[in-house]
Amino acid sequence: MKKIFFLLVLLLAITSCTKEVKIDIPGFEEQLVIDGRIETGYPPLVLLSRSKDIYSPTNIDAFLASFVSGATVTVGNGTNEVVLDEICTDNLPAGTEAIASDLFGIPVSELANYHLCAYTTFDLSMWGQVGKTYYLTVTFEGKTYTSSTTIMPSTNFDNIFWKPDGDLTDYGYSWVTLSDVSNQYDSYMWEVKRINIGIDGQTKDAGYTKTYSPVFDDDFFDGLTFDFFYENPMVWDDPTVPDEYKGYYRLGDSVVVKLSKMDRDVFNFFEKKYIQMSTAGNPFATPTNIPTNIVGGALGVWAGFSTSYDTLYCVP
Amino acid sequence: MRNILLTLFSFFFLAFSFAQKKSTLSGTITDAESGEAIINAKIYIPAIRQGAVTNTYGFYSLTVESGKHTIEFRSGGMETVVKEFDLTADVVFNIEMSSEIKSIGEVTISAKKGENVNSARIGQIDLDVEKIKTLPAFMGEVDIIKAIQLLPGVSSVSEGGQGFYVRGGGPDQNLVLLDEGVVYNAAHLFGFFSVFNVDAIKSVTLIKGGMPANYGGRLSSVLEVHMNEGNNKKFKIKGGLGVISSRLTLEGPLKKDKGSFIVSARRTYIDVIMKAAIPESSPFSGSSYYFYDMNVKLNYKLTEKDKIYLSGYYGKDVFTYGNKTDAFTVDMPWGNGIAALRWNHLFSNKLFMNVTSTFSDYQFKFGSAQDEFQFALKSQITDVGGKVDFTYFPSTRHKVKWGVDYIYHTLNPTSVSAESQDVVFDTGEAQKLYSHESSVYVLDEFDLNEKIKLNAGLRYSMYQHVGPFKRYIKGDISNPDSVINYSKGDLIKFYSGLEPRVSGRFLLSETSSIKAGYSYNYQYVHLTSLSAVSLPTDIWYPSTDKAKPQKGWQGSLGYFHNFKDDKYETSVEVYYKGMKNLIEYKEGALPGDNVNDNTDNILVFGTGQAYGIEFFVKKAYGKLTGWIGYTLAKTDRKFPDLNGGDIFPAKYDRRHDLSVVAGYKLNERWTFGAAFIYATGNTLTLPTSWYVQDQNLLFNYGARNSTRMAPYHRLDLSATLYDKSYKVKQDELTGEPIKVKKKLRSNWSFSVYNVYNRANPFFMYVDSNGDFLNGDFKISVKQVSLFPIIPSVTWNFEF
Repeated sequence: MKKIFFLLVLLLAITSCTKEVKIDIPGFEEQLVIDGRIETGYPPLVLLSRSKDIYSPTNIDAFLASFVSGATVTVGNGTNEVVLDEICTDNLPAGTEAIASDLFGIPVSELANYHLCAYTTFDLSMWGQVGKTYYLTVTFEGKTYTSSTTIMPSTNFDNIFWKPDGDLTDYGYSWVTLSDVSNQYDSYMWEVKRINIGIDGQTKDAGYTKTYSPVFDDDFFDGLTFDFFYENPMVWDDPTVPDEYKGYYRLGDSVVVKLSKMDRDVFNFFEKKYIQMSTAGNPFATPTNIPTNIVGGALGVWAGFSTSYDTLYCVP
Repeated sequence: MRNILLTLFSFFFLAFSFAQKKSTLSGTITDAESGEAIINAKIYIPAIRQGAVTNTYGFYSLTVESGKHTIEFRSGGMETVVKEFDLTADVVFNIEMSSEIKSIGEVTISAKKGENVNSARIGQIDLDVEKIKTLPAFMGEVDIIKAIQLLPGVSSVSEGGQGFYVRGGGPDQNLVLLDEGVVYNAAHLFGFFSVFNVDAIKSVTLIKGGMPANYGGRLSSVLEVHMNEGNNKKFKIKGGLGVISSRLTLEGPLKKDKGSFIVSARRTYIDVIMKAAIPESSPFSGSSYYFYDMNVKLNYKLTEKDKIYLSGYYGKDVFTYGNKTDAFTVDMPWGNGIAALRWNHLFSNKLFMNVTSTFSDYQFKFGSAQDEFQFALKSQITDVGGKVDFTYFPSTRHKVKWGVDYIYHTLNPTSVSAESQDVVFDTGEAQKLYSHESSVYVLDEFDLNEKIKLNAGLRYSMYQHVGPFKRYIKGDISNPDSVINYSKGDLIKFYSGLEPRVSGRFLLSETSSIKAGYSYNYQYVHLTSLSAVSLPTDIWYPSTDKAKPQKGWQGSLGYFHNFKDDKYETSVEVYYKGMKNLIEYKEGALPGDNVNDNTDNILVFGTGQAYGIEFFVKKAYGKLTGWIGYTLAKTDRKFPDLNGGDIFPAKYDRRHDLSVVAGYKLNERWTFGAAFIYATGNTLTLPTSWYVQDQNLLFNYGARNSTRMAPYHRLDLSATLYDKSYKVKQDELTGEPIKVKKKLRSNWSFSVYNVYNRANPFFMYVDSNGDFLNGDFKISVKQVSLFPIIPSVTWNFEF
């Protein structure tokens, strides 16, 4: 269906003209955005920001200014509750600079110039554990927002392998064999990074990258064992890779695959998020609002992930 | 309600019982030149101010008191025939009417003169196909749907679009009939051209309110299109050569005065142009688009009382795309096939019967392949049906119709298949849905007295959703998902309902009247659309145990006044329409969501209302003809599961809609046309804000359809240059110059679409570009416009 839309857009592109216009888009209401996650074996992490009017400035300062601080954020697991610490870029604990840089997308050298805050805890009792439900409460400017998420049992791959694609010998996709657990809802997120060490002594990829459409659930394969493949998302923008080899892993690559499972509400958020990102502006697609699992009028998500890792060595 | 109906029907039969010595004049009216039946010709007795009109098959029946009568036979563009009859017994009088011979500037007075004031029907418009041919034509393609969109109360979907909305109803709420076969998708080229080849079309009628009881199955309107029957006197060829398409029509007698045929075909050559434009070396050299369609009709008079008609339409659009670089190909055909076999029988000079069997099929396919991966999608609706209609003409005061009809629907909303090498993906079972739709109706069009005329009817429709069928039930925490299997023929759900229809006219004077109408309708098949614009991918879905039939009622009231001997016709109509069980997709629904599931599990249901006032001024005859139509309207929807349960404007809610249409016949050779349209912009849903999650920019959309695009306006012009109808020769005997009628007649039709090159909005979207961190990030609202000024020329010929 996406291809149909693509072709229709192509047809329009041949016959149409496009211009920038300024029209009244009524209904803007500033909302708090909660971007929270808790992963197996990791502490909860919450970022807070504000939504911005569609016509508001979009420079880096405006983007960074959308983050807010001064909130009270608590996480509970049904047994006890912890108030998260507010940790800000202008006052980071030693050794956390790289994490903060990755989190906000600004260089380490610039972190101190901004007051960007994240909420987390070093209390190990509140770090993510499989099977537990975590309750989030955010109080900000007199309003309270709540949510909950469950860390589902993880699923490991039966097998992970690489094989050359078609007539190619040195390039192919990452393949896995997955056995989905029957009679229960399962949803997955796929992230990857290459860990080959380059001549500079660094790994090829510093962090995990999500593929083009990284989430899927077991609506079509509940309880089945099957093979499927994913492309290499890291090379699409790499100018050193020729076009005909885009999307492939190269013979000799070492790739860590991170497979995260989540509950249905979290999946709904991410499914719609990636659909919106791929269809925004397409007249043949319906406008996709991203459903939130947060109660109280905020946007965003409070997401629990159970993760499993496997390493793929790209050899036949 | 029951009491009202009882009284009404008691009245019909009482009315018939006051019989005196009467005689019936009946027969058929045909065109002397072609033998084509003339629809809506008027048979009128001025002395008693009573008359009749011919039906779709040219048949009329007039029962009056026995005695001498002077009777007029009138039809637009035909010589009026006046004849004395001494009706002492029933008389059959078949008449062939000849074209009027007029000098320049002479006016054509239509048979429908005064009809808008006198008729009991409200909201019905008959379009003159010949007039449509002189209107400006988009890319040279004369188009009856675009002509309809110029009428008050009717609006187009979007720039160039074929879908039309009538009085706030959805595009699926229009019953489009081609020779009584249902047309499910009346569009070619994603909606820019209609499936109706104007050379094959004889008459076009739009009923936008007060739908008579013989029509049903849709809430909003009926667009009834009849094909030409073919010349039963002599063979003729006509056609046209246009910028993007050409057409050719052959017609002639099967047996002179007994039967005839017509074959009309059309094909675009966009693919040829694309082939020339895209070099062989281009990666896209395998891409092309074309459409073709063909109309065929045969008719034969078996006896004086029996005639059969066979009509067929087949049309297809084919879009192919090829990209050699990534070995990606697409093949996307879609189209309609329609066939209707009809038998007319005259039981007596007062009782006419028509039996019709119809077949209608719409298919959309999409196939793509990339390397070893193949994907195919198919959607199809097939109807097989039949109907029997009787018309009884007991007196000039009554015309009674009754009948039954039946359709067997087979719908395949979406079936998907995908495979790669030897692996076949589980894309779910193709779901076919089967249903029976049937109805019975009776109606009477009668004169209560000189001033009051009524058209009252009752329709009873029934619908059965039957197996085989799989009902998927989504479970929750305590109940797992489950499936109910229905076997072939199992009754899954039965719906039925009474559909009363009444319209009437109260004559205030000879030139003015007040009309009112009420209709209640059921609709059992629905069009579901995921996109903001109408597409061939929109799927038809039948009523099921979950998707209830749409129900709607409409009330309308109008004042009609003609001036200057009916040269100017004016009217004001107000209407209110209420609709229930309307269908939309759930928020965030995706095309693949119905795989291994029922489509109706991702549908939501709501109500709608529409109301408005329509002003219409028409200059009916003279050198300058045309109309001005203005509509002030509002239509909104309320779905508990959409927009937070709040009321929202329908996507085709338009506050103002103005159209000005003019035709000017300068002389026998030149005719000019103009059309101007102004409409409030369409609604759409745009993001009101942006936010960031995990360093991704996301949009938050505002209330549904809360943004309005800029107004739409456009002027089109046309000019038609006819050749001389004669050539001058020397008389062989006298040597005098004489005029000889030319065998080959032709005309050049010039059109300019969007004369002042207005960039009308087709759709808008919010675009984001750049990177926050690089400082070049920008969000902007973009407007896409489709067609700039487009001149075109077509050469039409006939011999």
